[in-house]
Amino acid sequence: MPSAILTQGLTKRYGRRPGIETLDLEVVPGEVFGFIGPNGAGKTTTIRLLLDLLHPTSGQAAILGLDSHRDSVAVRRSVGYLPGEFGLDVRMTGRQSLQYFAALRGMNDLGLAPELAARLDLDLDVPMGRLSRGNRQKIGLVRALFHRPALLVLDEPTTGLDPLVQDTFLQILREARDEGRTVFLSSHVLSEVERVCDRVAIVRAGRLAALETTESLLEKRRKRVTLVFAAPVDPSPFAQLPGVSDVWAQENTVSLRLRDGIDAVVKLAAQHTLVDLAVVHPTLDEVFLGYYDQRQPWPV
Amino acid sequence: MARLTPVGTLVLHQLRVRWRSLLIWGVALGGLGALYVALYPTMSEFLNDYIENAPDSMKQYLGDLQGPISVDQWLSIELGNAIIPIALPFLVILMGARTIAGSEERKTLDALLSNPLARWQVIAGSAATMAVSLAGVLALTWLLIYIAVPLAGVDMPPGQLAAGLAALWPFCLFFGALALLFSSLLRRGAVAVTISAAILVAMYVIEGLAEAIKPVEPLRVLSLLYHYGRPLEGDFPWTAVLGTLGGVCVVVAAAMAAFARRDVYT
Repeated sequence: MPSAILTQGLTKRYGRRPGIETLDLEVVPGEVFGFIGPNGAGKTTTIRLLLDLLHPTSGQAAILGLDSHRDSVAVRRSVGYLPGEFGLDVRMTGRQSLQYFAALRGMNDLGLAPELAARLDLDLDVPMGRLSRGNRQKIGLVRALFHRPALLVLDEPTTGLDPLVQDTFLQILREARDEGRTVFLSSHVLSEVERVCDRVAIVRAGRLAALETTESLLEKRRKRVTLVFAAPVDPSPFAQLPGVSDVWAQENTVSLRLRDGIDAVVKLAAQHTLVDLAVVHPTLDEVFLGYYDQRQPWPV
Repeated sequence: MARLTPVGTLVLHQLRVRWRSLLIWGVALGGLGALYVALYPTMSEFLNDYIENAPDSMKQYLGDLQGPISVDQWLSIELGNAIIPIALPFLVILMGARTIAGSEERKTLDALLSNPLARWQVIAGSAATMAVSLAGVLALTWLLIYIAVPLAGVDMPPGQLAAGLAALWPFCLFFGALALLFSSLLRRGAVAVTISAAILVAMYVIEGLAEAIKPVEPLRVLSLLYHYGRPLEGDFPWTAVLGTLGGVCVVVAAAMAAFARRDVYT
């Protein structure tokens, strides 16, 4: 089975400004793949290159085994795409818009649209000009999903959605994965990436900074360890331990960040009277910020 | 029911979205034409006096008029050589400009291109929509004028007016095609409108001035209006019509090529 997405040296420059630089990426069929990075990192550029909306400066991309440029019509037949920003024809209702898109896809009906609209609590018969931002986003989601595409490419899909609808939407993505479909999810909402993605790529300044399973990325997170002693202690020995950073002390408390195992910290703490010990595992956001911290070396 | 091709679906969708505005255009132009026809019996004496006493340059400007002015000459002066060729191209100029640059600005192009459509089909769909829209507006214009003909008690063969309006169809379409090309090349719909409209107005000004100002006369060949002559009152301008249709095809093909090479931004 061909890769859902395969890019080789994919590069896009806007004049002298880089959009994305020599991106090598493989997304396997049936996974939910998170593509994360801050604004301007190159996420949307990458998606637009995959969908042949932008032409690469160099390199190539294949979607489901088809060349993203040469076979772009066939590619888009199998892809559901939600743009990060999109306009709607405000004179039409959601149903009319979906009927138009269904006709362009050669479909005789609205496919999954009625079911998706019901699950997302979306009225398809309201003129789109009267819809709230969240409901407009739901129209975009239904348009991306209604033809049951083999590959879903979603650019910031939960923008404007309330938490309950976000939950429903993430459940829909899990179901798509369970059906063997692939999801390429660009986001800067890391909590949703953490909840739904099997693998995550982090982009920084147009380059791939990390590509790992969500699990292993989270395992690499630096824990925040807080030690409470019976009396004030000198924190400097903790700072000299391997894998320890950001040490600070206040009264009887010493707090530090820890990348590796906790054994050395516990042994050093045991030389004093330890009252309490707390280990907090950071969210993916903090892992992500770690990759963006200029003091940190690039992992890839 | 037979399934439409993607281009057919695009055309049908655009016509559904725009039918009200097309109706307004047709009723406005047809209503104006009908008004001119209705006014002709009471205006003809005044018009003949006006033409008889007009300076030669004015007579030349109005088409070297001699003798009593007929209803088709009157319609030609007011409608066929002024209002329709200046106003109606704007209908399709706006449509052409909205197709690529305008859709990009409204952020609707991404969603359209997420469907299994080739880019040339988007251009072909837009060109076909413009052609059908213009034909509809001109047909409605003809119909309303012809309702007024027996009511006004004037004599005017239906075929002549139909042929004259039909000749204006490729003329107007050409400017829509130009707007489509500029919309494919540029990123601002307003710029595509401005350039296309400027070309139209320049042609109109050249044709108007060339009648009266000798040094401008060599430039007349650059104006489509010159090649069309007075389609509502003369012979059907076959050469101009066929040449313009060829020009439309070339410009639309250039728009397809430009859009195929173009990046689409949000």
